Amino acid sequence: MEGTDSSADLIDQVRQAIDAKTPVRIVGGDSKAVLGESCSDENAVDLNTLKHSGIISYDATELVVTVRAGTRLSELNKALNDAGQMMPFEPPEQAGATIGGVLACGLSGPRRPFSGSARDYVLGTRIINGQAQDLSFGGEVMKNVAGYDVSRVQVGAWGTLGVLLDVSMKVLPVPEMDLTLRQQTKQHDLSAFSSIMRQPVPLSGAMLIDDSRYLRLSGSEAAVRAAAASLGGDTLDGNAIWNEVRDHTHSFYTNAYAACANGNKTLWRISVADCQPPLELNGDWLYEWAGGQRWLLTELPAHTVFSVVDAAQGHATRYSASNAKEPSFQPIEGGLQKLQSRLRDSFDPLRLFNRGRYHPELDVPSSPAVTGA
Amino acid sequence: MSADPADMGLAAEPAASTISASTDVHNAPERQGRREKAASELSRLVPAGSVLWSEEELRPYESDGLTAMKQTPLLVVLPESVEQVQAIMRWAKHTQTPVVARGAGTGLSGGALPHIDGILLGLAKFNAILELNEKQGFARVQPGVRNLAISDAARPHGLYYAPDPSSQIACTIGGNVAENSGGVHCLKYGLTVHNVLSATVITMDGDLLTLGASGYDNAGYDLLALLNGSEGMLAVVVEVRVKLLPVPPVAKLVMAAFDSVEAAGNAVGDVIAAGIIPAGLELMDNPAIVAAEAFAKCGYPTDAAALLLCELDGIEEEVNTQVEGVSQVFKAANVSSLHIAATEAERLLLWKGRKSAFPAVGRLAPDYYCIDGTIPRKQLSHVLQRMEQMSAEYSLPIANVFHAGDGNLHPLIMFDAGKPGELHRTEELGSRILQLCVEVGGTVTGEHGVGMEKINEMCVQFDANTLTQFHSVKNAFDPDGLLNPGKAVPTLQRCAEFGAMHVHHGEVKFPELERF
Repeated sequence: MEGTDSSADLIDQVRQAIDAKTPVRIVGGDSKAVLGESCSDENAVDLNTLKHSGIISYDATELVVTVRAGTRLSELNKALNDAGQMMPFEPPEQAGATIGGVLACGLSGPRRPFSGSARDYVLGTRIINGQAQDLSFGGEVMKNVAGYDVSRVQVGAWGTLGVLLDVSMKVLPVPEMDLTLRQQTKQHDLSAFSSIMRQPVPLSGAMLIDDSRYLRLSGSEAAVRAAAASLGGDTLDGNAIWNEVRDHTHSFYTNAYAACANGNKTLWRISVADCQPPLELNGDWLYEWAGGQRWLLTELPAHTVFSVVDAAQGHATRYSASNAKEPSFQPIEGGLQKLQSRLRDSFDPLRLFNRGRYHPELDVPSSPAVTGA
Repeated sequence: MSADPADMGLAAEPAASTISASTDVHNAPERQGRREKAASELSRLVPAGSVLWSEEELRPYESDGLTAMKQTPLLVVLPESVEQVQAIMRWAKHTQTPVVARGAGTGLSGGALPHIDGILLGLAKFNAILELNEKQGFARVQPGVRNLAISDAARPHGLYYAPDPSSQIACTIGGNVAENSGGVHCLKYGLTVHNVLSATVITMDGDLLTLGASGYDNAGYDLLALLNGSEGMLAVVVEVRVKLLPVPPVAKLVMAAFDSVEAAGNAVGDVIAAGIIPAGLELMDNPAIVAAEAFAKCGYPTDAAALLLCELDGIEEEVNTQVEGVSQVFKAANVSSLHIAATEAERLLLWKGRKSAFPAVGRLAPDYYCIDGTIPRKQLSHVLQRMEQMSAEYSLPIANVFHAGDGNLHPLIMFDAGKPGELHRTEELGSRILQLCVEVGGTVTGEHGVGMEKINEMCVQFDANTLTQFHSVKNAFDPDGLLNPGKAVPTLQRCAEFGAMHVHHGEVKFPELERF
């Protein structure tokens, strides 16, 4: 297969950073620069993964692809699609995004409640840890319980547990047919989702935009047609609306980003149980994942958002440019903070990787201090 | 040899039990003193009768499903509330006493093998289903609830819990989380890690924490992913919230016989290539077919070299399309006979044969030893040929059942533990099979866990730095190393000793370490 392996160079750069005790800002396509806290340290050096790219192996009948982290998502999607397969977690495709960035941020698309999340499909990883060691976990097989599942915990860790080098993922066949249903309902009416979700129909998307409920069905044509007839609604061809929402090119998001840039509004991603009734927070809402992933454009301060979302047992993440005065992530406290901080320590004892970028409270060493053996 | 007491069980020969017993005798007065002290202190933390410490009471707990390894613990404690578990963990931390958690004890890798100086934390009393939420599609259960009991409780609501390990009638959900259990339907529905929504655990510090969230993800690291398959090394699970799925309205089973294992193996790849993901896809070789048929009388063709059981489920339209699809694929792959279960009763009977393959093989020989490696599916015929050679070399017959869809191989080595040295040769053959799995790009354990059984083979699969990183992860959760010590991840010293005994291609692993 094509591409270049620049892992030796990346490991070398990490080693130099360790020697100089300089924080490292891990960058791929830089399509997610707006997310998270800005790297606070002015001395931080960029570690660019883009040159470490290309598909290492892909055998469609094994349902496994192994790819270098700097590979563009568009390139990977094309290779899979050419073989009639896909990443079932349907990752968002911001322009220039790499697979390493998608996994590091733990991003999943509309299919997530039905097919699983990014971490669900990761089988193995090769990483550089905070001691510049080249480590491989998991593998290219579906079932593997040898050693702790370090690969899956890398997903959504924002690079703070290591630099992703290579990743093996399970892939699945593209469904024979996708069909979208639009049902008229009321704004913020999430009540129908839970009964729809409990029906044995091949759902692959469920969202509410204004007063329209959108459902997507995927599978064999016979199954999709039968399910569509039982659920009812206007049928729409193709995946356009799902892709626009997934990639934030839908007008809800373009308007929201414009409002954030021009004024004092913030776009939040809110994760709660899908059955949670609408939250008492003023602003514009869009509901994905049958209510499990919600987007809020609001003027409310971060602490108000965090407090209401916390009471609903969820968490909120800022999606517009970070504001130095307010955190971007729902703070982690107590025993979980202690444990996660220790875990960060076990991979990156000097806390060089993306320091300050992700949950800064995890960058604070927790007692008793634990360092890599 | 190593002085690690758990190693005494590893040799697992009748002679080894004697060694183990003599160690006990040697330390008897001192150990008995510690036992009595611990029993007296723990009795204040749990209700009367919840601490077991006489030899007769401890005997049933001396092994899990891997009976070749035995060790009585210091004592057994059977708490019945979360607060009691917390108090026990704080006591263990304070007194620096090892803790081994145990569910039903059905594990096959010695993961619940007691520690000679530790307490065995039995979670059998945590057997309540706390909530079954049919509207939101989840069940909140205690760790001692049996896997099948969840589906039984959910079925009246049209729901079920998908992972179905063969031991599902007995194994508990807490153990399933510890081992990240699979089952025959995990190709389509995933493993335990894909079906657990959140878990409440108690750490060695006595902290009560919920990993995962009520929504689809949590703030911070995905500790829930790390917990699944961690073999009781990181925390003790006291509550699990599992996903319930709608029962598929239709399930159909296609049984396809082939004249060679290679042809059957190729047919599996062809099904996937046709874009079909069956709910289950199982392969048995001839010795397994013959054994299962003799046991379950389910109608398997005993003259076939290999048999595929391929289940399709979903709504009727989808299933009909897929049954047609796989039938075409099998015909093109030179199937020797093709049969679709005509009734639900026949479908269940055909599955019964597969699910009872282990006890069925158990009737053919005094003892059998079950191996659990995973390989890339394309390596199947190569691995089967190599295993056939090894079987001949050791004069030990092997029957194979194979979760073909996901490459998880279960060779069953038949032997007679009564013959001197045969158990030892069986374990050596098993170890060589696992090393073969690693050699072709697979892993030493698909779903049974490393436990105590495969601790040496871990040295073959991982290098020193990776093993050290595993120890660091363990250290983050349990800095004193008190939870299930000695299991799952070998020490570098142990690997150096194992490597010295098994030099591979003349390369010495862990050259930086001193030997013995």
